Amino acid sequence: MNPMSSSASEAAERSAWSISADARDGFAARVREVWQYRRILWFFALRATQALYRKTYLGVWWLFIRTLVPLIVGAFVFGAVINVPSGGVPYLVFFLAGQLAWNFFDGPLVRASRGIDGNRQLLTKLYIPRIILPLGQMAAGVVEPIIIAVILVVTVVYYRRVDGVWYVQPGLRLMAASAAVLVILWFAFALSLFTSVWQGRARDTRFVLRHIVGFWLFLTPVVYPASQVPARIRWLIYVNPLTAPVETFKWAVLPGMEHSWPWFMYSVGLTAALFVAGLWYFARSEGATMDKL
Amino acid sequence: MSARWEFGSRSPGVGATTVDVWQHRWLLRTVAVRAFQRMYRRTILGWLWLVINPLLPLVIRAIIFGALLGVSSDGLPYFLFLLGGSIAWDLFAATLMRGTRALEMHGEMSDLIYYPRAILPIGNIAPALLELGIKLGVFVVALVYYMIHDGRLYVRSDAALLWGLCALVLALIFALAISLFTSVWGETTRDTRFALNQLSSVWYLLTPVLYPMSQVPEAYRGWIVWNPMAVIVETFKWGVFGVGTFQPVLFAWTATAIGGLFLAGLIYFTRTEARIIDAR
Repeated sequence: MNPMSSSASEAAERSAWSISADARDGFAARVREVWQYRRILWFFALRATQALYRKTYLGVWWLFIRTLVPLIVGAFVFGAVINVPSGGVPYLVFFLAGQLAWNFFDGPLVRASRGIDGNRQLLTKLYIPRIILPLGQMAAGVVEPIIIAVILVVTVVYYRRVDGVWYVQPGLRLMAASAAVLVILWFAFALSLFTSVWQGRARDTRFVLRHIVGFWLFLTPVVYPASQVPARIRWLIYVNPLTAPVETFKWAVLPGMEHSWPWFMYSVGLTAALFVAGLWYFARSEGATMDKL
Repeated sequence: MSARWEFGSRSPGVGATTVDVWQHRWLLRTVAVRAFQRMYRRTILGWLWLVINPLLPLVIRAIIFGALLGVSSDGLPYFLFLLGGSIAWDLFAATLMRGTRALEMHGEMSDLIYYPRAILPIGNIAPALLELGIKLGVFVVALVYYMIHDGRLYVRSDAALLWGLCALVLALIFALAISLFTSVWGETTRDTRFALNQLSSVWYLLTPVLYPMSQVPEAYRGWIVWNPMAVIVETFKWGVFGVGTFQPVLFAWTATAIGGLFLAGLIYFTRTEARIIDAR
């Protein structure tokens, strides 16, 4: 840098440029910042959603096939071949309800983790509050659950015609279902505050993540009811913070299910703690991660 | 020293490619070593992944499907049953995945020197073979454990074991045959890998690994014929444990079809070889 003798020009320069290393704003400032940048959030959400099917041969159909085929095969194998008990509800309905809840975790987490990694190009060029990235990317993950929800509705109408029973009753309980969905989404976001940073540093995080999510599915009562676990050791499965919201969701949507509010509160508490830790971790490491992109 | 230089685009036949691959077989080692290095480089647990990767899902599935859901297993201990099916399936799945990624992982070698590209999918499956070895090791340990525990050796000890070996080889060839196509597609379209991942998980469910064939409802059993992996896994389990059914005619048909697919794959691969390099 060229040393300047005149103090006037120095002052002028200082007012024009202000580079400070300690950009550790408070929590409130960060939230306000995200609010200020909310239009970018929509931009990212839209872009991430389009990325789901763009540049594929089948276009939007790919999205439907990708969601539908595993559901059909899964319902067949777990329902017809393995004969998993489903608490008096047709297995297909039970399976779809469980998958619906689970997909609010799976897709959003995997997509949100891509937030930093997938936007390298952009991040090295301009400043945006980074937390917008996992949040915006997450929106794309909600597309699949919506498709599953539509399939669930169609299935319920079908069974109404065949069995003469509405397996999903409209009512106050559906409020509990939306609460459960919110907790699941919140948990996914809290987790992605860690994983998106890791994936920004090491790209193969996503393979490890897919792996983990793959067997996490089986550790959560999605394809089977939690009541299948012997009562003596049932608490073990509830230690998994996703168990309670998934069970609550199924209890709220389907008749004759069990669930437990205390464990639900445990999941909420754990998610909140993870969220706070995640925010702290994300804020602390975003600077260093950006440098290494 | 007489150096002969030859420029031009040529599309050798399958025979010529096979000879070419054989002459360049020393490169297989290079590719294999690179495959190992790429796999666990810059991971925290490093080589431990080699053991964790195949075993953890196995243990979790055995607990959920064997203990929790009580899936029947043809009279075998469920863990052993699942391990047997997984040995055949995982060999297929891992080979398919690694074969598909071969050109993408080692393509930069092609920018420098000439060699038959078919070396890449073949050499890149080395880690899959190592995983197979690890699983076979676990299998032997499990057999010894159950022999002490139940006083019974669950594995066969006659010539039928050779059928199990045949099934394994067939699974390997089948995966290689598919990856001769998919590795080429993977070079031009990045989604190939993700599509394949999804396909693989659906395929896994449709193959009797988690459950025995006898569990499939009668009405659907006829369809299984169309899934070569179901035939292969069933034959493997029959050869090793002596459970399930073995249909020699069906197995022969499957083997023939896979042989045909492999040949078609070789033709496709050699035809597109020159184009792949240009597309890079």
